Amino acid sequence: MAQAPEVKQMSTGPAKNLVTIKGTKEGLTVILDDQCSFDDLTKELKEKISNDKQVFGDGPEVEVKVDAGYRYLLNHQKEKIKHLLEEAESILVGEFHSEVISKEEARREREETGLTAVTRIIRSGQILRIRGDVLLLGDVNPGGIVEATGNVYILGTLKGIARAGVEGRETSVVCASVMAPHQISISDAIFYAPSRYEKKESGPLFGEPVYAYIANQDLEISFEKTRLLNQFQSAAAAKQGETLST
Amino acid sequence: MGEAIVITSGKGGVGKTTTSANIGTALALQGKHICLVDTDIGLRNLDVVMGLENRIIYDLVDAAEGRCRVQQALIKDKRFDCLHLLPAAQTSDKSAVSTEQMKQMIEELKPDYDYIIIDCPAGIEQGYKNAVSGADQAIVVTTPDTSAVRDADRIVGLLEQEEMAPPKLVVNRVRRINEGDMLDVDDVVSTLAIDLLGMIVDDEEVLKAAHKGEPIVMNPNSRASLGYRNIARRILGESVPLMAIDQKKSFFSKVKSMLGLKA
Repeated sequence: MAQAPEVKQMSTGPAKNLVTIKGTKEGLTVILDDQCSFDDLTKELKEKISNDKQVFGDGPEVEVKVDAGYRYLLNHQKEKIKHLLEEAESILVGEFHSEVISKEEARREREETGLTAVTRIIRSGQILRIRGDVLLLGDVNPGGIVEATGNVYILGTLKGIARAGVEGRETSVVCASVMAPHQISISDAIFYAPSRYEKKESGPLFGEPVYAYIANQDLEISFEKTRLLNQFQSAAAAKQGETLST
Repeated sequence: MGEAIVITSGKGGVGKTTTSANIGTALALQGKHICLVDTDIGLRNLDVVMGLENRIIYDLVDAAEGRCRVQQALIKDKRFDCLHLLPAAQTSDKSAVSTEQMKQMIEELKPDYDYIIIDCPAGIEQGYKNAVSGADQAIVVTTPDTSAVRDADRIVGLLEQEEMAPPKLVVNRVRRINEGDMLDVDDVVSTLAIDLLGMIVDDEEVLKAAHKGEPIVMNPNSRASLGYRNIARRILGESVPLMAIDQKKSFFSKVKSMLGLKA
């Protein structure tokens, strides 16, 4: 991990200013020094809170953000800091921010955002489960299942079941070269294909590659031509950005 | 050293036993040394189809449990000296034999034969596992209907996990059908995505032959017989074109197609 030189210099001074409370336009941020020992940190935090108790006083509750810099906070350490801060009755700890994450978290994050390419046929009775997006080069035969926490892209014929966003990501899509599925699900929305007998003719539902997506609030699955997928995904990304910033 | 080929399908009643008997007999017709092994313990049929049920003394379970040597349990076919049958037991069930015992028996038979044809029971349980354990190759039999193809697909998936060459496909009971009423052979092949070894047209003669205890390949005039003979030749490495499904055209339609009109 990269070091933060300016922070380091600050902490070489006497053992004070380990805890800085800063007002930003998003609210109060408690900046914790990331070079000292955790014990020193909690000691100073305790002092600071008891001194400043009257500053926060009995005004309305303020939500503060905790910035731990390059320190990795374990869960029980987070609990302790949260507990200390909330000694001052009007403080409510919001989120913890840290520049470092554990290897495990990093691996999971990479999985969740990564694309896994698989070259095989998913036959009846077989299940392919992938974290993140999956690109399947092959068919999904009737009775076969492909599951992903992200998007499902199939370069081949989807005749079985595809599940995208199995952990609830509603912007996920199921995309297939030839769409003739038994069932598609995205997050909690499920699409059942018309049964063989209801269909006038056998074969794919569409004459060209399509993707399945959640169209509206009613969690209804619709299909759209794959060449329009970029519009959907950029709209979804914009929407996600909006919810993050608010 | 012989090669062991398992004939399997997943679904019951698609013609595994008939296919085993006929491929075995067709290979014997070509002068190969063949051993048919019935692994459908408890529901043996292969001996009946071959017309050999009266000659059984020892069976597969006896051989597995050491009550006799494997060679003693073999029955010689009444038509060919080079065709032998290892019958299944009728009184035990599938768990009477383990995969290790099965493997050992097949290994013991291999030096004496060119091909060992293993007739697999329906299902994907112990019986299937036993049948597949000793095999070097697999032939998947299916009929052109949705449920049989679904089961065949499952079996192909399971066979891919075994250490053997990719399985070959036989589509049995193919009829001439109207577009959309049924699957055609191309649909089956494209779904399963494995090599087509041959197809057998639906032929009443097969039932009649089974009733007589005589494999259909013995009748040179049947179209199903020709299909099995072609499969045997393909197994031996010859390249034989697939035959057309609808051969019985009327004189008029032949003339019409000759003239370039729609038949």
